[in-house]
Amino acid sequence: MKAILTDVTKCIGCLECVEACKEYNHLEVDVPRNWHRTDGLSAKNWTSILRKPENHYVRKQCRHCLEPACVSACPVGALEKTASGAVIYHGEKCIGCRYCMIACPYGIPRYDWESPVPYIRKCNLCFDKIRNGQKPACIEACPTQATIFGDRNELLTEAHRRIEAEPGKYIDRVYGEHEVGGTSVLYISDIDLGFLTYPVRKNTKPLPETTSTAMHAVPFAFTGMGALMGGIYWICKRREQLKQEKQQAKEDES
Amino acid sequence: MKKVTAFKSVLWTILGLALAAGVTRMIFGLGAITNQSDTTPWGLWKGFNVIPGIALAAGGFVVTAIIYVMRKHEYYRYAKIAVLMAFLGYLSAATALVVELGLPWMVWHPVVYWQHHSALFEVAWCVMLYLVVLFLEFVPVPLEETSRFAGVRRFLHKYKLILVVLGIMISTLHQSSLGTLFLITPEKLHPLWYTNLLPVLFFVSAIAVGPLMVILGVLTISAVYEKPLEREKLGKLALFSVGVLAVYALIRFIGLVAEGKLATMFVSSWQTLFFWIETALFVIIPILFLAVKQLRVSKAGLWVATISAVIGIGFNRANIAGIMLVRTGEIYIPTIFEIFISLGIISAAVLVFLFCVERFKMWETKWTDPRDRETAPPEFDRSSEAWLGSPRISHRFTFSFILIISLAFGFALISNERIHSEGIKEVPVKAARGGDTLYVDGNHDTFGVYFAHEDHIQREGKKESCVICHHMNLPMDESSPCSACHGNMYTEFDAFRHDWHSSPAGGNVGCMECHPEDQPRLAETAQSCEHCHKDLIPAGAEIEVDDYMAPSYTDAMHGVCVPCHETRAKQKEELKDLALCTSCHGFDHPEYLNKEIEMAFRDTSFNHVVLPFVGDLDKNREDMDD
Ligand code: SF4
Ligand code: SF4
Ligand code: SF4
Repeated sequence: MKAILTDVTKCIGCLECVEACKEYNHLEVDVPRNWHRTDGLSAKNWTSILRKPENHYVRKQCRHCLEPACVSACPVGALEKTASGAVIYHGEKCIGCRYCMIACPYGIPRYDWESPVPYIRKCNLCFDKIRNGQKPACIEACPTQATIFGDRNELLTEAHRRIEAEPGKYIDRVYGEHEVGGTSVLYISDIDLGFLTYPVRKNTKPLPETTSTAMHAVPFAFTGMGALMGGIYWICKRREQLKQEKQQAKEDES
Repeated sequence: MKKVTAFKSVLWTILGLALAAGVTRMIFGLGAITNQSDTTPWGLWKGFNVIPGIALAAGGFVVTAIIYVMRKHEYYRYAKIAVLMAFLGYLSAATALVVELGLPWMVWHPVVYWQHHSALFEVAWCVMLYLVVLFLEFVPVPLEETSRFAGVRRFLHKYKLILVVLGIMISTLHQSSLGTLFLITPEKLHPLWYTNLLPVLFFVSAIAVGPLMVILGVLTISAVYEKPLEREKLGKLALFSVGVLAVYALIRFIGLVAEGKLATMFVSSWQTLFFWIETALFVIIPILFLAVKQLRVSKAGLWVATISAVIGIGFNRANIAGIMLVRTGEIYIPTIFEIFISLGIISAAVLVFLFCVERFKMWETKWTDPRDRETAPPEFDRSSEAWLGSPRISHRFTFSFILIISLAFGFALISNERIHSEGIKEVPVKAARGGDTLYVDGNHDTFGVYFAHEDHIQREGKKESCVICHHMNLPMDESSPCSACHGNMYTEFDAFRHDWHSSPAGGNVGCMECHPEDQPRLAETAQSCEHCHKDLIPAGAEIEVDDYMAPSYTDAMHGVCVPCHETRAKQKEELKDLALCTSCHGFDHPEYLNKEIEMAFRDTSFNHVVLPFVGDLDKNREDMDD
């Protein structure tokens, strides 16, 4: 499974990756409405650089979760986790319910609000490039190798190697190794990257698991309710019958 | 019928406004009408129409369960009303969904693309199935009006129980799976609302509110059509809800305790306040009003309890599906058009409801069980005749007129800008990293300008052009200010004040007055001043002005005065000092003019230069000689 490792300490904020992404994916000039205040991501910006104090630049993009909430949420399977690691989007299936936007813990999927025929927009790890053994456009563009592409396990080893080599420099954590079940876009950093997601929970359970218990209960709830209703009906009917019989008996007596 | 007509007029007005907004949404996309955004992808329609709407339609399955499964025959009268309310509730939720979905014409996709792990997939299927079931449950009512399709009607009557049980089974799944929807957002939903029990809570609260909603419908009919109420019976039905409400409160409380959120309930924050308002509306007030026998059978008590519960559950659903959901610090305020559509869908449902009440035998009891006849109060026997009304729609002309007027008004309200304007993202220039359009407000006085960043990149030579503004060679290096290139626009002591000129010309609109349309807007390409200021150089002036285009006030003065001074200095021996700087500037402050000369220049208005020495030069010279 392929992955991206971004080393925040190496990024100089040159925005080459942003431009490369726009160019490769033919994204138009972004003219967002002034009431949309975003982190730089939009339907026409699939990756952005967040500027943090003291010259820290953090690239934001889809994390390509190992167990993506968006994929589990989509009612029609328009989002798909591929074997290559990329989470890709099939616009022809999408109905535009935007449940994936609600579900994503990183707030990644964006919407074509201005279009009468809108689609979900997000980074697809340049799926057609990596399928042919190439690197994503943003990786190719990066002049400092702050963001690199490779096999997820190798990148994890590399990330830990870097942290161990310079222990004082990095926070001892590979962002994306465990959170919500792990992601294919990893970060190492000297500042806390908690702002990339909504308030992180302590557990690192993949999000799809939160709904799975309820979803597994569905057939039982369905048939159980049917049986329950049948039971209640039978009891009520029986009670009425008994009552009638009693009355009948009384009448007979008198 | 005055009351009814007035009520309907309001509904038709709202419907017209909603239609205008709806048509605009379909043509120009969601952005033209809504304030929903990437941070609040679900807005009013999901949080107000769809999710609470479906909870309120629960009356259909709860009341039919009470009547047909528990065999409480005394409520037969309300079965048709309950089914109709559920049917309309689901229809209006489905309508809201069609407006809400980005690609509504793909709404059937869940039928072909199966996703068992998605809660929304389950919801979609349940809505479709239950709509069919409700239709089959309701269709015998209009069929009673005609002698045709008697077979169909009899068939549906025969299998009524199966339909009812099927409806209950689907509703169970459906109501609870709406709760399941939000299980996937543990880090977004506020802890007072997020719990693993969400599906159970959604289901139980729907059961509780179902009968209350039906009672509210009955109360409304009785108020609008001035019909008597069976208060005892309604009170008994409401008592069922009280029990379920207590169970709901218990589950919710136990859930909060078990998850260690007891303290959160008493933290002072607006969320906690909302939690208590919700609890008061949905649980406390209804239970208080319905538990007391006198209140329960009183009209006022029923009104208060049902309205409170209905608003309460709506508030609960709205909290979960919106208000408490995405805590990004951003505030979503629906546009007036979103509100129009929301209310319009409800208005349409109410209008159809009233139509059915007037047109069909909704209140009549004979259609199911003859035993009910005996228990029915006598005043209802004549009722169908008395108030079912005429079969045709009354006041057709009035309502059509109202609809057209409000439709036109709705269209008039929609601003062109919202639909067509290329909105601009306001990025304080300090925080900007790239971006297509930046809002530059260097003085922090809100009189900023929009800087077309992407446009500059394209025009100045793509990537290579970055260094023109961003130097990129020193740490902490700052970008060049706009004035580095646009000097003529910003230099303060300019002979030509650009800002003063641009305002009367209409701000950015008037650029073409001076700059040719198809060329860059630079000083070099601009019209010269005398193009407009014909009187700039008085007639008979000796000064030759060729394309008067002084870069600054200093240049202007020097350009105008110095050549003349130099000529004169050469002509006459005693005037040779005229060529010296000190002839105008003082020794002590060379940057300032001598007092007398400065006074001569004071005679200026704005920057229209009055040249005091032009005209009769010889006379001037004589004056100077004196
Ligand atoms: S980051 Fe969000 S959009 Fe990307 S794969 Fe994960 S859940 Fe899906
Ligand atoms: S908006 Fe499209 S991709 Fe997202 S969940 Fe809905 S159908 Fe799936
Ligand atoms: S991987 Fe491709 S699509 Fe994703 S941000 Fe980089 S360039 Fe854009």
